[in-house]
Amino acid sequence: MRIAVNDDLVKKLESLSLVELSQDERSRIRKDLEDILAFFSKLDQLDLSEVEPTFHPVGAGKTRKDVPDDPLPVQEALLNARKIKEGYIIGPKTFGD
Amino acid sequence: MNLETVRKLIEGSLTPEDYVNSTFDKIEKFRNLNAFTYLESRDKVILEVKESLKNRGRLAGLLVAVKDNISVKGMPTTCGSRMLKNYISPYDATVIKKLKAEGAVILGKTNMDEFAMGSTTETSFFGPVRNPWDPSRTAGGSSGGSAVAVATDIVKVSLGSDTGGSIRAPASFTGIFGLKPSYGTVSRYGLVAYANSLEQIGPFAQTAEDLALIYGLISGEDPRDSTTVKERPIDGNSIDMRSLRVGLLVDINEASEPPVRSKINDVVNRLSDQGTIVKEVKLGLSDYVVPAYYVIAMSEASSNLARYDGVRYGHSIDGDGNWREVYGKTRGEGFGTEVKRRILLGSFILSAGYYEQYYLKALKVRTMLIRQLNSFLREVDVLISPTMPILPPKLGELIDDPVRMYMIDVNTVIANLTGLPALSVPVGEVGALKVGAQLIGSYLSDLFLISLAGTVHESMHGRE
Repeated sequence: MRIAVNDDLVKKLESLSLVELSQDERSRIRKDLEDILAFFSKLDQLDLSEVEPTFHPVGAGKTRKDVPDDPLPVQEALLNARKIKEGYIIGPKTFGD
Repeated sequence: MNLETVRKLIEGSLTPEDYVNSTFDKIEKFRNLNAFTYLESRDKVILEVKESLKNRGRLAGLLVAVKDNISVKGMPTTCGSRMLKNYISPYDATVIKKLKAEGAVILGKTNMDEFAMGSTTETSFFGPVRNPWDPSRTAGGSSGGSAVAVATDIVKVSLGSDTGGSIRAPASFTGIFGLKPSYGTVSRYGLVAYANSLEQIGPFAQTAEDLALIYGLISGEDPRDSTTVKERPIDGNSIDMRSLRVGLLVDINEASEPPVRSKINDVVNRLSDQGTIVKEVKLGLSDYVVPAYYVIAMSEASSNLARYDGVRYGHSIDGDGNWREVYGKTRGEGFGTEVKRRILLGSFILSAGYYEQYYLKALKVRTMLIRQLNSFLREVDVLISPTMPILPPKLGELIDDPVRMYMIDVNTVIANLTGLPALSVPVGEVGALKVGAQLIGSYLSDLFLISLAGTVHESMHGRE
């Protein structure tokens, strides 16, 4: 099944992915997405109704004991942050314009 | 053993100054290949080599190059992306800790496809890596820089990561050894995540012995990576070619370019001459493995790359606005085109209505492939195919056609989907260009595979 990828769908995916494209980039990527999805639709040719999915090549992950283990000092953990105030990272506004 | 460098350094027949200076001379000589994104200063490296020689680790004083998606404390980890251009790692990956504990000195970080998304190291923000044997061609990817560093003898060994062939492709295109280990035998702690269920860190080397040594040192269970396994790879005993059973992946071989196929046929004939039983096996699923692989990889990527918001680290736009605008613009600016394509597609595949149509189907193809390969590996000891279906392409030849680019991964992705160990061994040349054979073995047979690769290389080399 070939899925028609239009500008609205690309814009919806940009919104879901939080990735803003320029109009030029959007046109180029729109065509790529259509070709790639057509390529993926080869999977439709297989009857997979009796097959179980494999999410991971090794069994379920294990957990370690929930004890602190040499955490990074705060100063080092903040070294790559752009805006810092009193040991905290400043992020963009979460409400309002 | 090729790690003679370590012996000479310990004996004193090679001084740290001479060793490091000759290394930097080679870096200068091959600068046009664009293998490195970061280098430590010469003086600092000399000091570190001297310091390392005080403790006689198995890698005392040895310089190692590391792919730029593996964290080395105090060095940049850019992942070949504008997004992480100024990011400095605050800690060492487990594999780096292990190498340093044996005396290795990290020389620098190597160029790669952006976030390991590519097969030719052309999607890097820092420009493409060139093939040392023909600089108009690609060195393969995504770990192109690490492969070139070894192929040009700047270093004897390096580390890469392999999500769908990213170690084996550049190993094949540059004429060296590269191993994608059994899933879970090498810790991914400190590897920047792209597609967790597919990727492993692995070594590049000039010889099978060095490959085995580095793999032995970096593997092992790690409490910091819950997907690492307790089991150790089984020993690689010396190979008796007369009792060996090899399965040639015949449909994959036939779909390869004629000069590549002919080299692999030479290898198979040589094995046959030595008494090895060669059986032809047909994968049958080859039309479906690449779509299945990319559906899974993109789904995992869209989730993993959600962390890049420019707030805690990484590129950020100047200017204010609410979080949606800031994140959208930051990510739009920070990521390159291929990364954006994969994130958008991953979001699409995982969205309501399409999850079953693409993602679940891909996971079911993975189940079929695991059954298929395991059934082959009950009949034979190892599977052989070309590592890459083509000779190294010209730079720019595939980069604007994503589907054609994805298709060149057809031989390698099967090992990532199944978690099986696989390596590329250099088996010859076509003109100046290198050809590698891929060996795939049973789970945890890594050391056996490496040992067999050494034998195959020797027998082909003798013929040249």
